[in-house]
Amino acid sequence: MAPILLWLVMVLCLLISVVKYMMGIILRLSFPGSKVQVKKDYTYEPTVSVLMPCFNEGKTVYETIESISKSNYPNDKFEVIAQDDCSVDDSYEWMLKAQRDFTNIRIRTGRNAVNSGKARTVCNALQDSTADIIISIDSDCIFHPEAIRELTACFSEERVGSVGGRVGVRNPNESVITAIQAVIYYSAFQLYKIPENWTRSVCCISGCLFAIRRELLLEIESAIRARHWFGVPVNQGEDRFLTHQTLLRGYGTYINNDALCWTTVPNTLSVLFKQQLRWRRSIVRDFFFTLRTLPKHVWELHPNTVFTLVLTPLGAIVAFLVVVTMLSSDPLAWAGPLPLITALGIGAVLTWVIKKYSVREALAHPLVFGAYVGWSIVSSLFLTPLALCTMDSADWGTRTKEEPEVPLGNATR
Amino acid sequence: MATPLAETAAPKKRLSLQALHYKLVIGLYRVFAIIVLYLVLAGIFTYAFVMGFYAISNSWAAPLILSAVDEKSLDFRQKLVTSQQTIEDLKVDAQKMQNGIAEMTKHRAALLALEPQLQQAIVRERTHNRATGPQLAALDSQKQTDNAKTQSVLARLKEVESNINKDLAAGLITKGDAATQLSALNQAQGAYTDSKIAEVLLTDNVLQKTTTGTDSLDVLEKQAELRSETAQLDIAINVAQKELQEDTRQIDRLREAITTAKQSPYYLNASGGQTLYFAFVPYDNQASAVVGRPIYDCYLNMIVCRKVGTVGSLFTGEETAIHPIFKTNMRGFLIQMNLDHPESAKSKTVFLGGKPLLF
Repeated sequence: MAPILLWLVMVLCLLISVVKYMMGIILRLSFPGSKVQVKKDYTYEPTVSVLMPCFNEGKTVYETIESISKSNYPNDKFEVIAQDDCSVDDSYEWMLKAQRDFTNIRIRTGRNAVNSGKARTVCNALQDSTADIIISIDSDCIFHPEAIRELTACFSEERVGSVGGRVGVRNPNESVITAIQAVIYYSAFQLYKIPENWTRSVCCISGCLFAIRRELLLEIESAIRARHWFGVPVNQGEDRFLTHQTLLRGYGTYINNDALCWTTVPNTLSVLFKQQLRWRRSIVRDFFFTLRTLPKHVWELHPNTVFTLVLTPLGAIVAFLVVVTMLSSDPLAWAGPLPLITALGIGAVLTWVIKKYSVREALAHPLVFGAYVGWSIVSSLFLTPLALCTMDSADWGTRTKEEPEVPLGNATR
Repeated sequence: MATPLAETAAPKKRLSLQALHYKLVIGLYRVFAIIVLYLVLAGIFTYAFVMGFYAISNSWAAPLILSAVDEKSLDFRQKLVTSQQTIEDLKVDAQKMQNGIAEMTKHRAALLALEPQLQQAIVRERTHNRATGPQLAALDSQKQTDNAKTQSVLARLKEVESNINKDLAAGLITKGDAATQLSALNQAQGAYTDSKIAEVLLTDNVLQKTTTGTDSLDVLEKQAELRSETAQLDIAINVAQKELQEDTRQIDRLREAITTAKQSPYYLNASGGQTLYFAFVPYDNQASAVVGRPIYDCYLNMIVCRKVGTVGSLFTGEETAIHPIFKTNMRGFLIQMNLDHPESAKSKTVFLGGKPLLF
């Protein structure tokens, strides 16, 4: 009975995912320029603060600031606030160099007194900002010159509280792992999130490029600082948390696929695993939060949002049980040709689409997506239990943690 | 009314309690998490080891408990009963056929025995006819001559009769004398008629004895019928003998099939009163399946093994089964296990010949 129930939940979750992807395709093909997309107003030019928390990024910080400095946005209306979280490498020096080199824009740099984690570093950077729109970015990304303009243009729709950009992969052909991620990123932004865009209820805007109204962020800031897991500060998944809080406060969330940024995705299995583990933790944490306040979610949020908030993490948890059941009952089922053929088929189609519409991310080897079958097993089998068992982790994930954790509430500049 | 000191002390105490609570929860959570993660790791390593072990092991067999109401056994038994019934039917048919052949052979012998007698009778009759035919022909000729003479005499009797009547009318003779004389005339006429009849009969008899008449043909027909009936009996006996041979062969074949079938585990299972234990051996592990070799049963499918019996017999018929670990289809055969520990028949796998690992 229990395995059947598991399979039913799993099928339901997969079905919802498939439906969302299908809806994404239909919406993209059927309603170009319709209500699916926010009516952008490029004449709307609010002041913008680009907050850039940083930890052990090295020279990449410089490149990131450089790309922002080339933004097509009035220089007097935006600034960069770079905040270092006690990096043990030369990241801060690169920040200072960028401050010296890119004088066309206003760059402010700061450094936490102690290592505080990304979420609190963003909050600390916020203290220096007075802009209308806050854009939080990752310090390892390269931004399209139109990214800021595209993001701010969406805020002309008053009910939109947070806007995200599309994150592309800078290194799609570096390894099989990066190629898989390139396909996943592309399909997630271009298909999966489109139905969420339609109802202005994107459940997770990527922290790589996250724009939010200042007053909203200030409202949420205390909640960000107060996040903890039985006393252990929670520094991860601030993007998911911010998006969720935006929705709960009655604002809409949206992803503008024309606001582009490029990130260097993990190129080794260990780094990818750490990153995915961090993401999985934030998904699980968000799931628990959703369950605790489920009636509020059901009554106040769009059903599309509730489905996504519940079924996505539920699918991840159930997938673990399904894979365990599958391996114990039919150990070689995963070795059958069907999953591989399916992955290859999907990969081939998406590779063709990417090559056609996003040349920069084009994959050299269309068949590498077949390796996703192996990753999905590893992901389902290891990530969820590991995430569930390491909810007290508070490090930066893929970056080395050299400093002790900051006690709750003591994160200062 | 609370003092300011008390007012600040209360939140501090609450925070302290909360910190303690958090510390306790986190401590328990971490212990739990470590245990779970080690269990997960242990599970993964065990899984990988089991997969690897069964991929290279060539001595395992999968015990199989055949129920008395096992579908295959029941089917087997039904077919066996049907075969035995067929044998019985064939035996009855063969017996009937043998009796029929004996009867027909006897009848044929009787018919064949008639043939010489008939032949002798024909020869004897022909010899007799050849001897008596000419004699009768001579007598017939004599008779005809006699009758011709008698006829000429009788032609004059009309005149005598007329004279008698004239004498009577003249009163020369009495009526009585006249009647006596006329009666004598009639008697002579009758004698002539009888003689004529005898002549005809004689002629007829001569004809029969000197030529091939219908009587001879009747005899020949009888002879032909006799021979035809004999020939038909020959054919019938021949056919019956062939059918008998075929029935006998079929009986032999069925007996062979039943003998073979009786060596099947399904027959043993269906017909035997005692509980038998079987195991499936994949062809890859065929070398380990030798009659008399020890069988080991292990905990966790591979460790801490003990001897639980020996290999009883091997069944040559091919069987297919699902791999107990990999769940893939396999081809192999069954063995009978002589188990000292019947509970081992319920194990997922047993090992033939020796312990799979060192312990």
